[in-house]
Amino acid sequence: MPIKMLIVINMGTAMIDPGQLQLWRLISPMLPIGAYAYSTGLEAAVEAVWVHDESSAREWIHGLLTHNLQQVDLPLFARAYAAWQRDDREAVLGYQRQLLAMRESRELRQEDLQLGDALKVILKEILPPEISPQAPTHEVSFAVIYAFACTRLDIELTGAASGLAFAWCENQVAAAMKLIPLGQRAGQRIMTRLIASIPAVVQHALAMEDESIGCLLPRLAIASAQHEAQYSRLFRS
Amino acid sequence: MNLTLPTTLGWSAHLNLEFSQRQTQTYLSKREHRGPLVVQKPFYPGDGACHVYVLHPPGGIVGGDNLTLEVDAQRGTHVLLTTPSANKFYRSQAKPASLRQTLQVADGARLEWLPQETIVYDGAFVNMQTRINLAPQARFIGWEITCLGRPAAQEQFTRGECRQGLELWRDQTPLLMERARLSGGSPLLQAAWGMGGATVSATLLATPVQASQLEELRRSLCACLTGLFSMTLIDGVLIARFLGQQARAALEYFQTVWALLRPMMMGVQACTPRIWAT
Repeated sequence: MPIKMLIVINMGTAMIDPGQLQLWRLISPMLPIGAYAYSTGLEAAVEAVWVHDESSAREWIHGLLTHNLQQVDLPLFARAYAAWQRDDREAVLGYQRQLLAMRESRELRQEDLQLGDALKVILKEILPPEISPQAPTHEVSFAVIYAFACTRLDIELTGAASGLAFAWCENQVAAAMKLIPLGQRAGQRIMTRLIASIPAVVQHALAMEDESIGCLLPRLAIASAQHEAQYSRLFRS
Repeated sequence: MNLTLPTTLGWSAHLNLEFSQRQTQTYLSKREHRGPLVVQKPFYPGDGACHVYVLHPPGGIVGGDNLTLEVDAQRGTHVLLTTPSANKFYRSQAKPASLRQTLQVADGARLEWLPQETIVYDGAFVNMQTRINLAPQARFIGWEITCLGRPAAQEQFTRGECRQGLELWRDQTPLLMERARLSGGSPLLQAAWGMGGATVSATLLATPVQASQLEELRRSLCACLTGLFSMTLIDGVLIARFLGQQARAALEYFQTVWALLRPMMMGVQACTPRIWAT
């Protein structure tokens, strides 16, 4: 399990690592960033009937987790995290540009920037005002501002990356439950499958060489672009 | 075919093309080549652009081959590049074949990059990287069409690996970075979340394109095309994609988009390269 030990024994008293509590807050669906409004292409995949039941939803989400998340979001998140630790803003900006250039459609790019902006706004309430360095002022990709928050809240890298993957999976499963629709128990069965894969996905992502970053899932790219013109829709992506 | 296939080292071919503007005409001001990557004499069908056919090695590309193509469209030029036939990567013994294409487009220059498809044979190991570098006021339209295996010959892509990068940069900033990594026989090729059993994947890029022009394209394109296709516009870059079974269908789709975009973007009517008709 990649998340670091939750319990630290201190003078005979059990103490939780404060960074863990902050991580749970950041990946909670209660965090007001509006992630529930985005399906990341799933709504269009349901419209195309590529996803239509529990098993096809599980495979679709798992495919994106082990490809897009593992090959794009997570390795660039890890690089942004390291760059924020040394406050190298030029490097951060480079990773952000790469992340945005790897978004396949206008909606996926917008989703990333809108979530990033929403997290930036709410961080004003979360982070102590005297933190240094300050948050970026330019438009920011979600993984980049999430990396910023994690470094400032003392959330260690593996846990932060696992949390990013977990929150993404949970949001996808919630979208699948609404769209297909699926029941609560089916949703939990899908989560069981996804959670089982997260440690290996994170491990791969954190060990990735620069030239291996990137991925192309043509159906996702096409579905997401078609979603822009889809007649009836619940989600913004 | 008058070239013999090398057995151990592979070809190292290089082609460097530079285009310059002299008064109202674009001309091929420099041509350096080494090995079997060559061009035919430029010609001018009357649309103001300098048309050039790039010829890939006639025997196709095999493991160990290392090819580079560099194109430099200088200030004010208008260049149209195409290929008279498909580019073929043959089966190799785990030795990658590499093709690196770099296209530079200067301020006020217009480059059209309209090659035929690339066919990746079963068992080929391919590393193909295309990078387009645009100056702030450059115009570009181009595409890449990749065909995995040879469905017409009942040949699937069951072994080998195809790494393909397509990057569009403007003034040191990446506008689009597409990196496909396809392994022969991998689940991605058949899965619903991957290629869904399609063998032809293609991407067209064009910039600068306005939102109103995308709407016009969407209105003009008929729904009679076969396969999956889409268009999206990100920060002035139009990205059109195709996924299907026929390289021909991808070419037809892109040629239709190109014919509609060309007057809007390049200020000239589409003038179909004759080679496409053959």
